[in-house]
Amino acid sequence: MLPRLIPILICGLGLASASAQEPPRSIDLSKFPAAAVDDVVVPVPSEIFNVLDKLGSPNWKAEMRDNLGKNTGNRAQVALLLGTIIADGFIAVEAEDSERVKDIGQEVLTLADAINVRKAVIARSKSITEKADAKNWPAVRSEFDGALQDVKGAMEELGDDDLAQLVSLGGWIRGTEVLTSIVGKNYTPDGAELLNQPELVNYFTRRIDNMRNSRLKKEALVGRVRKLLRDIKPLITKGSIPVATVQKINTMTNEVVVQITTEEP
Amino acid sequence: MTTSRKFILALALAGLGILPVALAHVDDALSFAQEAALPYVKQGFTVREDAWGGDLGVKDQKAVTAQLFKGNEYWFWLGTDIRGAVVTVHVYDSDGKLAESDFWQKGRFAGAKVIPQKTGTYYAIVTVEKSPKERTTWALVYGYK
Repeated sequence: MLPRLIPILICGLGLASASAQEPPRSIDLSKFPAAAVDDVVVPVPSEIFNVLDKLGSPNWKAEMRDNLGKNTGNRAQVALLLGTIIADGFIAVEAEDSERVKDIGQEVLTLADAINVRKAVIARSKSITEKADAKNWPAVRSEFDGALQDVKGAMEELGDDDLAQLVSLGGWIRGTEVLTSIVGKNYTPDGAELLNQPELVNYFTRRIDNMRNSRLKKEALVGRVRKLLRDIKPLITKGSIPVATVQKINTMTNEVVVQITTEEP
Repeated sequence: MTTSRKFILALALAGLGILPVALAHVDDALSFAQEAALPYVKQGFTVREDAWGGDLGVKDQKAVTAQLFKGNEYWFWLGTDIRGAVVTVHVYDSDGKLAESDFWQKGRFAGAKVIPQKTGTYYAIVTVEKSPKERTTWALVYGYK
């Protein structure tokens, strides 16, 4: 594992080439200084759905949930739930279910209100409704991407960085549940390769380990998410991911999504 | 605080008009990165709304770690607001091998294209090659299709 802990030193290795020159064919990532490596850029859900679009036509309606869960008043649960519901927005877009998309847009607004970031998503929610009515699916998808970023940005401005990470995590867990469900039902190595995200899992784990809000960190649900990440990590290392592993990850993520959805304070 | 988060904070402060001049340049650098991305939107690339940035000395480098997916095409675009500066961006895979299929460099702008051969972690290496300033603000955005 390279990234943050084992960063790179390219200056001395001649990577700094003149502008018109060809870059080096390879670099020694293990010598990169830690301060010179930024945290992992968390992909937006559209990047994954974009690939899934190219892999075939899954039955997206079968992936939709009847019960999106409810706000229990526990901030960690609300943040995780918000992330899962935004992910459900993408599934409804794939299923081209405009009524469901609008319901989810409204639910996002309600949950954002519960954690004081309603203002950040009002415009998005309105836009989601308008674009869902117009069945402009790429635009709806883009609005859900934007809603996720807006919610996180607003939380960070409020100093709630830890909570913002939980929104990302909720989205990632629900997204992974759906991804593994689809790939597990119609397995291809290319589909399974989408799970090759070890550095992202490391990043999320670090973010939980380094939470400044100790109360949040001690939440049972946060501990459960951390365990999930720890358990998934060895399953998605380099190399092909067999169907049995895909299905195992599906079971693991499904259990946590159910906990996020039904958790009582 | 990560560069990206500092960057978001810088943008927020700029919006409030309380940003020191040097930091305000990050906002300007972003407009150049977005300008570099603009022609690619017509080619079907979706440009992410968030961005990464900071400032570097001449010959300093920064690696931005990204999770890329096989099946997508990506372009990374880099910009700086410093007139006369030369910046580059190149993308490597997790084994340290050059992963880009195309790149270009035009003064304060640069770009690199990646069609991932495998899903995984990639590193966008930002370099300030030349600059009239001691510190050069930069911003990186990326798009996919």
